[in-house]
Amino acid sequence: MSLFKLFLIFVKIGAVLLGGGYVILPIMNSEFVEKRSLVSHDDMIDYFALSQSLPGIIAANISMFVGYKLRGKWGAITAMLGVTFVPFWCIVLLASVLGALTQNSYVQGALWGVGVSVIALIMLTVREMWQKSNKNIYFYTIFVLTLATLLVFKLSPIQTILLFTIIGVLYKRFAEGVK
Amino acid sequence: MIYIHLFVEFFKIGLFSFGGGYATIPFLYHISQVYNWYSLDELTQMVAVASITPGPVGINVATYAGLKSAGILGSALATMAEMLPSLFLVIIVSKLLRKFSDNFYVKSIIETLKPISCALLTSVAIGLLVPDLKDIRALVLLAFLLIISWKSKKDPLFYIFIAAIAGVLLTVFQSL
Repeated sequence: MSLFKLFLIFVKIGAVLLGGGYVILPIMNSEFVEKRSLVSHDDMIDYFALSQSLPGIIAANISMFVGYKLRGKWGAITAMLGVTFVPFWCIVLLASVLGALTQNSYVQGALWGVGVSVIALIMLTVREMWQKSNKNIYFYTIFVLTLATLLVFKLSPIQTILLFTIIGVLYKRFAEGVK
Repeated sequence: MIYIHLFVEFFKIGLFSFGGGYATIPFLYHISQVYNWYSLDELTQMVAVASITPGPVGINVATYAGLKSAGILGSALATMAEMLPSLFLVIIVSKLLRKFSDNFYVKSIIETLKPISCALLTSVAIGLLVPDLKDIRALVLLAFLLIISWKSKKDPLFYIFIAAIAGVLLTVFQSL
């Protein structure tokens, strides 16, 4: 597999990817497991699970895992550039058109509605994260502590993450112990 | 230099955001308050555009935010900066694979990051909701969108489309 061919496959994946990270697994499966047998199905499942447990964008992570598996670090870089190629130009083009349109009162009305829908989308994402989590006392405690802190103090997301990750891991280390 | 700030901010998002594209929103919200790169209204607009264009939402919104902040060079920089931590992590983790996910600290961190991400996103939802509390039309539309999604979450496109139509219809009625 040449780097150029790999780039083209990821350009295609980026172009057909719509609606968030979880859609990418079937697309990756079809391109790399079924059509070309370059990656085993088990490996793909592993990459997907790891991509979710790593920070960053899930779809970008799994693309880079496959790129790395096939062509080492240049493969990972190729995957990164390929998967963002079409989305990047779509945003750049759409943004320039949108800027000119926002003077129109109907477009402003539509954008007002879109603003409300984004709040709904965020709330639904919270619900989805909530449903997918293993909810125990630990989960609830960290959630409530973090939210309460955020509502009272002005902390940046990174300060919040560092503070509560350290508290949580220390708690787990001493209360549950290393097994 | 705006480019250096932009690179650092988006590198941090790539390193600390956890749980999919929408998990980057709290960071972008924070950026809009600290720097004057874009307003809150522009942020919701960016999220909507990022959701309806192809590609991962988290990457698209970084591209858009970079564009708003510092033009096309900014958008390329923000996109790359957000993915750079992943690149390093993927290379490291590929070498360790199983050992990585069985490690006590890795497991504890992941288990702790889930409720934290949830809380961060909840606080953003509250922050965006507060200015809308006085706007009865916004509350009705929001309630409607939440009710139709009660059984199952549909494609983001669906909500954005319906809400945009509702917004246009309201404008038409007001101008009558």
